Amino acid sequence: MTSARLVSVAFVTLLTVTSIAADQTALHIEPGERTLVGNEARQQLLVTETTAGRDLDRTRDVIFSSVNPKIASVDSNGVVRPVSDGTTAIIASVNGVSARTEFTVSRSGEGLPVNFANDIVPVLSKAGCNAGSCHGKQSGQNGFKLSVFGFDPAFDYAALVSEARGRRVFAVDADQSLLLQKATNRVPHGGGQKFPVGSTEYRRLHRWIQQGMPKGRPDDPVVVGIRITPSERVLSEQTEQQVIVSAELSDGTIRDVTNESQYETNDEVVADVDRHGLVQTTRVAGEAAIMARYLEFVATSQVTVPLTAIPSADELQASWKSQHFIDRLVATKWMKLNLLPSEASSDATFLRRAFLDVIGRLPTVAETREFLSSTAVDKRTQLIDSLLQRPEYADFSAVRWADLLRVNQETLGAKSAYVFDTWLRHAFRENMPYDQFVQELITAQGGSNHDGETNFYKAFPKPNDLTIAVSQVFLGVRLECARCHHHPYEKWGQDDFFGMSAFFPRLKQKKGADGEDILFVADKGEVTHPKTKSVVAPKVLLGGPLEIPATEDRRHPLAEWMTSRENKFVARTMANRVWAHLMGRGLVEPIDDMRATNPATNEPLLSALATDFVEHNFDIKHLFRTIMTSDVYQLSSLPNSTNVRDTRNYSRRYRKRLSAEVLLDAVCDVTGEPSAFTGMPAGTRAVQLWNNRLASAFLDVFGRPHRKSVCECERLSETSLGQVLHLMNAPVVNDKIASPTSQAARLAKSDLSPEEIITEMYLAALSRFPTEQELKVAKSIYSAPESSRRSATEDVLWALINTAEFVLND
Amino acid sequence: MTHSRRTHRRCDGLARRDFIQTGLSALGGFGLVDLLRMQAACAEESKAASKAATRCIFIWMDGGPSHHETFDTKPDAPSEIRGIFDPIRSNVSGIDVGEHIPKIAQIMNRVTVIRSITHKDPGHGGGNHYLTTGCPTPTSVACGAKVSFHPSFGSVIAKERGSTNGLPPYIQFALPSPLRSGGPNFLGSKYAPFYISNNPNNPDFSVSDVTLPPGISSGRATTRESLRRSVDQLKRITDAAANDPARSMDNFYEQAVGLITSPQAVKAFDLSLEPESVRAEYGHTMVGQQCLLARRMIEAGAPFVTVQHAGWDHHGNIFPYLKNRYLPIFDTAFSALIRDMDQRGLLENTLVLALGEFGRTPKINKNAGRDHWPSAMSVVAAGAGVPRGEVIGATDIQGNSPIERPLKVEDFAATLYTKMGIDPHKEYVTPLGRPVPIVNGGQPISELF
Repeated sequence: MTSARLVSVAFVTLLTVTSIAADQTALHIEPGERTLVGNEARQQLLVTETTAGRDLDRTRDVIFSSVNPKIASVDSNGVVRPVSDGTTAIIASVNGVSARTEFTVSRSGEGLPVNFANDIVPVLSKAGCNAGSCHGKQSGQNGFKLSVFGFDPAFDYAALVSEARGRRVFAVDADQSLLLQKATNRVPHGGGQKFPVGSTEYRRLHRWIQQGMPKGRPDDPVVVGIRITPSERVLSEQTEQQVIVSAELSDGTIRDVTNESQYETNDEVVADVDRHGLVQTTRVAGEAAIMARYLEFVATSQVTVPLTAIPSADELQASWKSQHFIDRLVATKWMKLNLLPSEASSDATFLRRAFLDVIGRLPTVAETREFLSSTAVDKRTQLIDSLLQRPEYADFSAVRWADLLRVNQETLGAKSAYVFDTWLRHAFRENMPYDQFVQELITAQGGSNHDGETNFYKAFPKPNDLTIAVSQVFLGVRLECARCHHHPYEKWGQDDFFGMSAFFPRLKQKKGADGEDILFVADKGEVTHPKTKSVVAPKVLLGGPLEIPATEDRRHPLAEWMTSRENKFVARTMANRVWAHLMGRGLVEPIDDMRATNPATNEPLLSALATDFVEHNFDIKHLFRTIMTSDVYQLSSLPNSTNVRDTRNYSRRYRKRLSAEVLLDAVCDVTGEPSAFTGMPAGTRAVQLWNNRLASAFLDVFGRPHRKSVCECERLSETSLGQVLHLMNAPVVNDKIASPTSQAARLAKSDLSPEEIITEMYLAALSRFPTEQELKVAKSIYSAPESSRRSATEDVLWALINTAEFVLND
Repeated sequence: MTHSRRTHRRCDGLARRDFIQTGLSALGGFGLVDLLRMQAACAEESKAASKAATRCIFIWMDGGPSHHETFDTKPDAPSEIRGIFDPIRSNVSGIDVGEHIPKIAQIMNRVTVIRSITHKDPGHGGGNHYLTTGCPTPTSVACGAKVSFHPSFGSVIAKERGSTNGLPPYIQFALPSPLRSGGPNFLGSKYAPFYISNNPNNPDFSVSDVTLPPGISSGRATTRESLRRSVDQLKRITDAAANDPARSMDNFYEQAVGLITSPQAVKAFDLSLEPESVRAEYGHTMVGQQCLLARRMIEAGAPFVTVQHAGWDHHGNIFPYLKNRYLPIFDTAFSALIRDMDQRGLLENTLVLALGEFGRTPKINKNAGRDHWPSAMSVVAAGAGVPRGEVIGATDIQGNSPIERPLKVEDFAATLYTKMGIDPHKEYVTPLGRPVPIVNGGQPISELF
């Protein structure tokens, strides 16, 4: 049995770092020097105190003052505004320590010429006018449409200036412009008041209209990037941190856009952010990425909140010795957050977990007895290896992939669904390397009744459907938004979407013998860009347009790119999927939404897993084995005082409910009564079904997906009152328990003593021996006046099926 | 270590542990009758505390019903705003309603119409969230979004009120599907709605799995239940932030036992006990029979039931849709519900609300439809002391926005909670330690009290 292995030496290192130079305090103000140009310029300041090597935001605590308030003013939040031309300094002080920064003010009396794309679009974005739920919607809102998130300034300019007979903007009397009247709700506005008359936003729009709605000059500087400060910071629980966002322009100038940027956190459980860029941590340790968006640019600030309680010296003594790369990388993260891992799981828990995770079924009584009594030192590794060789591994894996690839007989037709399902089972049974799996699906060709993989193209018949499916399922990128607009939190735009789509327009279908659909590649067919109306050349993500000879199937270079060892998407996505399946949570969540603004909770680990997967030739079973042989996989779910709230860093096992099919099969196994599915051979297990629409109230109530989406999230993993009622009362469960051929009936008829019967049922249902106390309680049922041996056995079986221990994978 | 076995409180002074002991020592001899007696003893205690406790039927008109064609007609507006329907007189002088809700016109003396609720979220995703939780979404969400940032009305009421007679404290018809934002959010799965997904208008309708399986006597069920608790020894992780699914299951088993052993609950679910004349009065429609079943459940003590009448998002051809389908179904179901509840005295302490996520654009669009319009919407309220035959607020001549008594969604939410005996400004602390008020601001609408 693996013993509990805890922590490492590096914690000690961390402790020494934080204890140096405790009495030295320095105050630092950012930005160091800045010029404010024009009467609307502003600059948010950021004041940081460095004490004992740790940075602390003091922006909201210090007293700000302007050396010459006639040049520039500063308010209590640290916002500097121009007053008149000249130079001055701003001083921030607290507790007798101070810091200063220099400001130059120029053209303070002027409203600078407005550039529509640079100056107006961000205002519309921040006010939410172009949000997907308002005027940014595909169909617009009440006849007024803007490009969503302002990705198309030319379109927005036309919408504001030319449409609606020019009523939206009225240069002669800017205040009477419909744009301003609506935004301030002086004319009834479905979206209500967005900003009041006289606000910064109002003045900016007003000035633009007054200037005659300039588009801006072609040689106006454009924003080339944004920066968020600080880019990373370690924070305490329940503290604040101001961020500042600076835009860099093509002429080399820097402009503060803190006030005009939009903010979002990727984990409000750890840290939240308001519209002014003020970050607030909660009482939960962990990490969060704070994202700032300005125009089409995105920048993130990584916030880390360690537990305040430092693990005690005794706990630190016990060390985490594992050399497994996963264990080292996970432990590095624990040290950063001051988390201690839970103990190792017991053999029985590990056994049940490994069976359920790899083959989706419970160990038999004999298998459990054998494993628990084995004294082999490497018995856990042996078990992992033997499970990966079992045929049920293929069935269980195929079900999850059939979900993703929408193997749905309602849309594909029965025959197609069947052969596609068969192909998937075959692929996993053969342990087809993942690169080959991808290759075969992407380059599929032939008949839908014989070449199962061609049905991938039947499930996603159009180039645009394929683009969404291929990118989400294999690349872990959600490109769907980029079909219509620049992805708001990502670099992808329409060029990427239609570049991907351009791999597929030549795929055609024709009818073959027996009505079979034959997939073939035609020599004509192009994708046109919806905006430019020009033909789009095939282009992979992050790549340039490809020149593909007219005679070549365009999908081949695509598959080649996807399966290349250098591909940045495919191996990571698969590694994350398998990790999520085994560990109960993806390193990136949602698991198919990988982007810079949704970082992995442990990026070094995700990279290492992906690299290892590629180095082992995309061997999926190797990936399973690598994860399962780590100590992290084998931890107990029971927390210690440091990690009870950890739901991101795997310092304890996360419990999960058995999925619909696995639970139904488990009920069948422990009762000895297989399911009878309409039209399927006797003894067919739920994980073997090729038709996910076969009637089964059990599978529906436990969240079997309809296979209408390419998101794993379509399968429900929660528990509900309906599920509990079903386990307690549904005839389908009770008939299995009470059947004359059931396991309960067989055991009751046998020569076994009540203790032996109870033990058998515990081993079958919970994969462990009952405790003395449990035996005693269950035995008392057998001696009750109204019970028979049979009824008592049924009752114990019913009770076991209705425990959390049975329904959950611990 | 923070994990420990929980002791379930059944009611004051009687711990679930005792129940298990009793059950085990008597084994099969301890039957349903004994269990019921114990529950009755508990119920007596709680009944005294909540004698006049108000209940609520929340009729959710997903998609956003047009105020122009229902409760806020604009006969004096130009034709592109007025629409093609005429107003008709109701049985309250001065209150006119759309011509296709004639039965509702005859119960207007039992309800109040609020015409001046206004908000700013024109999307279904955000609007659903706002009007079913009382809290706007913190960021703008897409129209198709199903989001949860705050506990729904039903979940808060489930938490504050608990169940009576074993009925789940928050029942929701998931017809056609669960409400987008109708979940418990940080309150946890214990306060998730109990979904009824079978159509009560089907001849073979029943609520699934709420009765003991054939051949299992109540005594045996009690034995099994006692045994189950004894054998369920998996250690629980008590810190809510740990999200232990075993704890969710405990909550559901507790609710399930309460439900199964409650004769009132089982009876409440049995629509076949209603005479055909009553069923016909509500209309043989999915909505009508939901309303009838909701009345039965409220009668049996359920504190909060969500009825769904979805599909009001009429961007095109609004007039035939409303005239031929939506309004007649709603007219029959809602009028029957109000009349029936009133005759039975249930209106005394039941708040009945009918609303969607927003109103619809005053100006008819080029597809002969109306688009989303959160600036103005009508809400109908009845019961629980809501005045009979009143109107609150008014919109301008075109139905653009309130010109009299503008009300926020938060005011509406505060009203709902206050009627239910819950302080709307009570603060919850999320499992992660953040204080969150049930309703952020808002004042109960005084005219309704």
